[in-house]
Amino acid sequence: MSGVILDKVVKRYGAVEVVHAIDLTVEPQEFVVLVGPSGCGKSTTLRMIAGLEEISDGTVEIDGRVVNRVAPKDRDVAMVFQNYALYPHLNVADNIAFGLRIRRTPKAEVLASIEEVAGILGLTEYLDRRPADLSGGQRQRVAMGRAIVRHPKVFLFDEPLSNLDAKLRTQMRAEIKRLHKRLGVTSVYVTHDQVEAMTLADRIVVMQDGHIEQIGTPMDLFLNPVNTFVAGFIGSPPMNQIEAIVEGGADAPRATFAGQSIALPKLDELSSRVGEKVTIGIRPEHAKIEPAGADAISVELDLVETLGSEALLHTTLAGNPFIIKAETGGDVEHLNQVTQFWAGPETIKVFDGKTGRAFGHPATSYQGGS
Amino acid sequence: MNMNLYSRGDKTFVWLNMFLVTLFTLSTLYPFIYIAAVSFSSGFAASSGKVVLTPINATMAAYNYVMNEPQFWISYRNTFIYTIGGTIMSLLFIIPGAYALSRPQLYGRRFWNLMVAFTMWFNAGLIPFFLNMRDLGLLDSYFGIIIGFAVNGFNLILLRNFFENIPQSFEEAARMDGANEFQVLWKVYLPLSKPAIATVALFCIVSRWNGFFWAMVLLKDDDKVPLQVWLRFIISELQDDEEFSSTLVDAAYSFETVSAAIIVCSIIPVLLVYPFLQKYFNKGILLGGVKE
Amino acid sequence: MPDETRFQRVLFVLRRDWQLYLMLAPTVIWLLLFLYKPMYGLQIAFKDYSIFRGIAASPWVGLEHFHTLFGSDQFVRAVKNTVIISAFSLLFGFPVPILLALMFNEILHKTFKKTAQTIVYLPHFISSVIIAGIVITAFSPSVGIINYLISWLGFEPIYFLTKPEWFRPIFIGTGIWQEAGFSSIVYLAAIAGVSPTLYESAVVDGASRWQMMWKITLPSIMTTIIIMLIIRIGNLLEVSFEMIILLYQPATFETADVVNTWIYRQGLQGGQYDLAAAAGLFNAVVAFVLVIAANSLSKRYSRTSLW
Repeated sequence: MSGVILDKVVKRYGAVEVVHAIDLTVEPQEFVVLVGPSGCGKSTTLRMIAGLEEISDGTVEIDGRVVNRVAPKDRDVAMVFQNYALYPHLNVADNIAFGLRIRRTPKAEVLASIEEVAGILGLTEYLDRRPADLSGGQRQRVAMGRAIVRHPKVFLFDEPLSNLDAKLRTQMRAEIKRLHKRLGVTSVYVTHDQVEAMTLADRIVVMQDGHIEQIGTPMDLFLNPVNTFVAGFIGSPPMNQIEAIVEGGADAPRATFAGQSIALPKLDELSSRVGEKVTIGIRPEHAKIEPAGADAISVELDLVETLGSEALLHTTLAGNPFIIKAETGGDVEHLNQVTQFWAGPETIKVFDGKTGRAFGHPATSYQGGS
Repeated sequence: MNMNLYSRGDKTFVWLNMFLVTLFTLSTLYPFIYIAAVSFSSGFAASSGKVVLTPINATMAAYNYVMNEPQFWISYRNTFIYTIGGTIMSLLFIIPGAYALSRPQLYGRRFWNLMVAFTMWFNAGLIPFFLNMRDLGLLDSYFGIIIGFAVNGFNLILLRNFFENIPQSFEEAARMDGANEFQVLWKVYLPLSKPAIATVALFCIVSRWNGFFWAMVLLKDDDKVPLQVWLRFIISELQDDEEFSSTLVDAAYSFETVSAAIIVCSIIPVLLVYPFLQKYFNKGILLGGVKE
Repeated sequence: MPDETRFQRVLFVLRRDWQLYLMLAPTVIWLLLFLYKPMYGLQIAFKDYSIFRGIAASPWVGLEHFHTLFGSDQFVRAVKNTVIISAFSLLFGFPVPILLALMFNEILHKTFKKTAQTIVYLPHFISSVIIAGIVITAFSPSVGIINYLISWLGFEPIYFLTKPEWFRPIFIGTGIWQEAGFSSIVYLAAIAGVSPTLYESAVVDGASRWQMMWKITLPSIMTTIIIMLIIRIGNLLEVSFEMIILLYQPATFETADVVNTWIYRQGLQGGQYDLAAAAGLFNAVVAFVLVIAANSLSKRYSRTSLW
């Protein structure tokens, strides 16, 4: 099995640089998800691995071989496209077999491969159909079938679920995960949807403006975002961010904002920052409404969104929106009365007010959610 | 919408509009009916201007005359040669050319496209084109007519635009599947572009079938001229040809019925492909906006 | 790759995309051979061209042919006729397809609409020889339907095609008859793009169909109309001279002879290649300037270049 190594990879269009010297190592059999807002360079990076975009600078290695000037077809990678790119004039079987036939695979082998892949993906009864006669989920499966039939070294996925409705997306997500478990092929997956990234990835790569912001396991990113961007991108709803001023010393650091104050985790870096501006981050899951301790923060409740077992409390704190995720316990009435919350110092993240970089990496235990 | 919901003013407007459209349509249709009627009329009736809507003294005499005229069959055959040969030749040039021009990875793509577009803005004119054909030894030859008009900027750009609008991911998927450019074009883009190619082919067929000016200029040999050139000869030259008129005085056909009969024979193939044309030209004209 | 020269770059691209260049080659060679080589041949406009010497060896004569051209009454008349015929074709021919499209749009009966469209598109696909044949027959003094009507009304028949004053109306009318239907397709497509909700809200507001046609449909397709107008202005000098060759006769040269028919007679029939090529060059340069002007106009107006 084979990995992918990106070494200072740059993409330029004329004078405009859209991907800036990216370093990334994808381990064999690993499932890595590139996530970020549109225009962050994630698709371009994927397409450079595929060979669909030229690499302006740096090197891409697949399975120990530098592939910068190797044609896509000779890289032994397969790709699932956002719009699936299923050939409308061919039926499912011929779509799956297209790559094998182009490579002049013996007939018997082609037929066996089609059958095998169709079996894995549950497409056996649809082999004669044209793409136009398939549902969105089935088309998605055919697109994957076309990729796995060639037994490539690496799978590349370019936003493969974004054309599906929410329910199918959840379903196909699980299916991709199961398929990866079964086949164990190194995979690089691009999406703008952080939920997809969290659920699918062994490791997530968060990108912005052609840079990698952070690489880590989903839990890592959730608990220890390196900066405000990652904090605001990962998690649903994302981390609340409040601008505040540091007070107190290294023993009992606090942050004040709009006449309120909250205890911060004991971080070495904070001692030298007294009086400076910081951004504090509190995950909606970490904001507790009961019992309200002594260190409670008052908020103004605007709206309660009930999701069932949980509810999102949309509140205003110091003029900014602040979201609290609370358990309903089967009754939302009491949530309408909420006026304050508290958060344990160990769950609070502190970011530099100017650069947005996170201070320290305190060992936090996960307490949020339910 | 339901007519019953209309006000009286709207109803008047709708009917008046219908009437005007009918009038325009009939004025388009009438000349064709008239020509058909003339072609089936007797020579005397036609020459004395009695035919209005239906054949007078109906006869097949004009058609008999035409069918027995060897030149009719020669030029009819030639028209088929030019139409089929020319269309195939055009497609052989245009399809791969348009595909190459549509690929973003083509180095110097702007330059190549400009090279095509420039020929649509600036034309050397009749004389240099003619002298060039002469210098190339393509006067009076089937091949000259077929090759000399093979590429047409409009058709090339029409097809290029269509190819450009096919999502690039089809090409990319095929390339990752191991297809080379010829395979991508042949196995993926051609099947996806059937309507566009049909449109271009039909445009070629019609312009070849109807083409007369250059055939008239470049061909001197009667054995090589297409139908339109011969038809023009009949209409403009024989009209005042006394010998032709005098031999026809007592015949069941006249100059008018004979030319009408040739016109009918020449229009019929166009009418046969017209339904296909109509199916595609709406799309063809608007190919710029076509999305799969 | 970073440190590669332009030459290395070209070499790499050629090796990677050689198949694309192979596909492009026939078209490029054809263009060079059949359209660009004649542009090289245009130099005979400045030469005393002799068939025996060939293009390159014929002696230069500078602007002599242009002096001859503009000293020739016939050529100046042809230029004048070209401008007049073009201008009137535009003036009368341009609005008809728009009106036709608006009218088609108001027809509710689907089959009727489709049939009518099928019929009015047809003449576009008929050869100019046949159209000319029909026109000649229709306007003929002895057999034509037009003169039949005139005599029925008690007037003397007119031999239209020998009368200079009748040539332009007949030619322009023929052009409209042949092309108006087909040209309406563009406008019909634009109309099809108008959001139906505009009409629905107008109906709710109590607008009549007449009002909707003028206040919704027409303004909605204004951009298309202006772009088409610009294109037409760009092609102003493209008089369909094939049709003129088929319809005119010496008696009507006075009003019918345009630059291209003049070139045809002088050059292709009369063998004065150099003089005729000079006239062609003049025509092509003026047309080129018009096209470029139209394109920049359209860029400014619609922010979309025409090509």
